[in-house]
Amino acid sequence: MTFFDTEITWFLDVYILLILGYAILIMSSYLILAYLSQKELRSYLKKNSFVDYEVLLTSEFAPKLSLIAPAYNEGFTIEENVKSLLSLNYNNYQVIVVNDGSKDNSMEILTKTYDLVLTDLNIHPKIETKKIKGIYTSRNAAFKKLIVVDKENGGKADALNVGLNIAQNPYVVCIDVDCILDKDSLLKLAKPFLESQGKRIIATGGVVRIANQCVIKNGRLVEVNIPDVMLPRIQVLEYLRAFLLGRMAWGRLDGLLLISGAFGAFDKEIAILSGGYSTKTVGEDMELIVRMRRYMLENKLPYAVSYIPDPLCWTEAPEDFKIFKKQRSRWMRGTIETLSFHKKMFLNPKYKLLGMLSVPYWTLFEFLAPGIEFIGLLITVIFIIFGLLNWHFFVLLLLFVYSFAVFFSVIALFSEERTYHKYPKQTDFFKLLMAAFIEPVYFHPLTVYAALIGYKEKIMGTKGWGEMTRKGFTKK
Amino acid sequence: MTEIWQLYKNGHWVVPFLTGAIYLFVAASFIFYLIIVASRNRNIKREKLRLEYETQIERVMSSVIFEDVLFSEIKKDKNFMVLFDTRFFREVLTETLINLHKNYEGIYAQKLEQFYKDSALIKDSYKKLKNFNWEVKCKGITELSEFKINEAFEQIIACSKARNKTLKITAINAGIRLEGTKGIVHLTEHSDIIDEWTQVNIISAFKKHDIGDTKGVELLLESQNTTVISLGLKLIKELKLTQKVPFVAELTAKAPNTIIKYEAQSVLQALTL
Repeated sequence: MTFFDTEITWFLDVYILLILGYAILIMSSYLILAYLSQKELRSYLKKNSFVDYEVLLTSEFAPKLSLIAPAYNEGFTIEENVKSLLSLNYNNYQVIVVNDGSKDNSMEILTKTYDLVLTDLNIHPKIETKKIKGIYTSRNAAFKKLIVVDKENGGKADALNVGLNIAQNPYVVCIDVDCILDKDSLLKLAKPFLESQGKRIIATGGVVRIANQCVIKNGRLVEVNIPDVMLPRIQVLEYLRAFLLGRMAWGRLDGLLLISGAFGAFDKEIAILSGGYSTKTVGEDMELIVRMRRYMLENKLPYAVSYIPDPLCWTEAPEDFKIFKKQRSRWMRGTIETLSFHKKMFLNPKYKLLGMLSVPYWTLFEFLAPGIEFIGLLITVIFIIFGLLNWHFFVLLLLFVYSFAVFFSVIALFSEERTYHKYPKQTDFFKLLMAAFIEPVYFHPLTVYAALIGYKEKIMGTKGWGEMTRKGFTKK
Repeated sequence: MTEIWQLYKNGHWVVPFLTGAIYLFVAASFIFYLIIVASRNRNIKREKLRLEYETQIERVMSSVIFEDVLFSEIKKDKNFMVLFDTRFFREVLTETLINLHKNYEGIYAQKLEQFYKDSALIKDSYKKLKNFNWEVKCKGITELSEFKINEAFEQIIACSKARNKTLKITAINAGIRLEGTKGIVHLTEHSDIIDEWTQVNIISAFKKHDIGDTKGVELLLESQNTTVISLGLKLIKELKLTQKVPFVAELTAKAPNTIIKYEAQSVLQALTL
């Protein structure tokens, strides 16, 4: 054996150990999180079976909420979506629709449908935003909860900040206007704010599920279906894995870094004191939570972020790869930007669990994972070219990763079955099971590719969201 | 064990490790799959059985409510008694009984209460109350309070001192339902925080069960626990207890902190304006 051969063998050994070590680390962390999630989920469901949410409906002590719904070119669905927001099961709330300089006829539709007139609302903006063209309220008493703000285009974060400035209630619920909310979603989201025991609840988040091919009637979800198209179908599974097996655990550990921008409630005072939504990132939802947490920790204020596993919000997932790629690359840019804004927190004991666990976990397994996978792939190709690849080992490694991915998806299905059982049809269950087998070879490479595009866009300095076309829900 | 150590020591552990892990994941996936299928089948069977039981129970309960049939008569039906011995049947029966009791008042409600006692379902509820699991205890408490078993009051109030919040709320609500204000005066000595969610539930229980006699609510204002004082103030405000205004005024003068002082002033304002 020459010196060169010894070097190669050593490099191969180290490479194998590194790749295996990383895989084992990521898999173990997934399993630990899944175990904690299950514990939390069981405990929540047990408690919840004795909860009477009706008491909040009739109580004047129910937290007062302001729903902020930014809208950009939503003319096609805005009438129905706003109607469904106005008919939620809750008393103490107002709806603020922020028209973010739409180029379509959103504003005309809103004015006509809700009989809007310009109003002279006395506001004292605490966060700087783009110019407001006008604030409207309805002449019709049936829509007294509604406020519509027409403003210059400034992006989602800017629209949400306008909502924060205008909101008259102590808690704000930020939602995507095109999401379908469960009728009791506000009751469930508001409850944790009343449960603080010495700790201020600064935010609560709920589970988001995929609504493609589900049947919607009068702005409410009436029939849950699994999409026939593979891309959104696998996203159903992906969301189950993320929400039921991941975020629940982070919620239990109180290390949650992300409350979905599609549906989350915040303590308005803390959100404003932390500076509101950042317009410098496309991951404004994650960034706000991290900043609010950082604010509380730096000011030594006891706090908690609450997380509710009930499926409260249903959203449309991208059905074609082009839109999917845009969405995922944007998510990656958001992650990179948030982690880079708050790099000071990385392994910093001052930020407790957040600094020592949450931020490093996101850095290692969310931000770096696609890059590491790509480098692994490149090295494998090089090994193949130079005839260095141990095929037996390579196939075993692939099977190891593949079988774990399927196993983890089956755990997610098991968890869904034992908890919410939202997919009772036999065909739907088998569709999801099939998706579990396809996901590692079809969907996962796509997510890695989209994440790499996200890296590239970040390096090239790409800003903004890009156009997101939606197909719309099946209506009855 | 020595073999595994040898494999590790001579560096040949990677392949057996990967093979073992693959087998493990495949087997575990298959086991989970079987559990899911079994769970779905069990649920389907249970639902079928529930529907079947509900039809029978509805027939029996209709005869109890509208034809004055007593449990001693029903007992003669052997088929019914065979079913009655199964736990799931009694579970469905209790649920149906509770639902009916919520919908009926007066003589019909009394007949249902009598049936609950005669059929010994009450014993099941007492057993649940003694169970170590808080969720089973909660079920027992809900049943006993629904059928107004005042004799269980002391046991239920003992549960309200538990650390588990859900159990605490269920027990306090049941106590209020059974004995009105007597169900909460013990909170005066309570040392733990009573969060707003618990407070909202207590207020709701007072409203829901239309508790007329509110004697003793003012005692909450004397507690050392500020969350208990806050609960007292909220109750006085929500139930519009103008007769308690002097107690609130007294509290305003010697409030333990500014938050309570402000809350008391706001209650005073709401009740005197």
